[in-house]
Amino acid sequence: MIKAIGKGSLASILAVALHVVRVVVWIAFAGLSAAIVAIPFLPALARFVGAEGDIDVDAGDFVEVLKHFITFGVTLFVVERLLEILKTLRFGSPFVKENADCFRKLGWALLIGEGSKIVISILAAIFDADVDAGLDGITLISVAAVFVLSEVFREGARMKEEQDLTV
Amino acid sequence: MSISVKLDRVLLDRGMSLTELSERVGVTIANLSILKTGKAKAIRFSTLEAICKELKCQPGDILFFEDDGKPIRHDD
Repeated sequence: MIKAIGKGSLASILAVALHVVRVVVWIAFAGLSAAIVAIPFLPALARFVGAEGDIDVDAGDFVEVLKHFITFGVTLFVVERLLEILKTLRFGSPFVKENADCFRKLGWALLIGEGSKIVISILAAIFDADVDAGLDGITLISVAAVFVLSEVFREGARMKEEQDLTV
Repeated sequence: MSISVKLDRVLLDRGMSLTELSERVGVTIANLSILKTGKAKAIRFSTLEAICKELKCQPGDILFFEDDGKPIRHDD
């Protein structure tokens, strides 16, 4: 049976995995930033190295990069908040008001991330770009679940405080 | 509206310290301090019973209901 806290627990395994994800996303961010700078120079670079065929850079490429920027940004924000929550689990009780706030922020971040797909779709239509940015029903349900979890944690924190102050 | 706790006054009347009461009723000093300073959100009947038994008093000697700081009933 897996432990709830401590070494070898699910929380500690998750924390390690989230730290890895954080590093990967930061590297991806750096790559994307480099891509944004490099995209306008790609045709000239292709001519310089003598590549065959035409390399066209249009607004659609920037829409694609923007989509990934938002995805990585939201992922990073979510990972940071989850690590904060796991830290409280490691150092005592997770039922604190701060975690309820963390879950609420998570919900908003996921909602904004999902909502940004609408903006990306509009931009893709304007610039005639082939970008897949449709709304995902499961993600929207997950957002609702996170908001519910936030309220559960808020009530849990209140009950914990009451319990601690009962003599 | 609030419930105020006058445990310190009853303790003074009985000449008993918080530490002594803690040992007698089996409640930690930290918890009794929470009660004495009015930070407690709730009190168990078992705790109240033990305190009243040791201090030979009624719950009403320890707990008072105040309406915006004005006592509704005050037993001196």
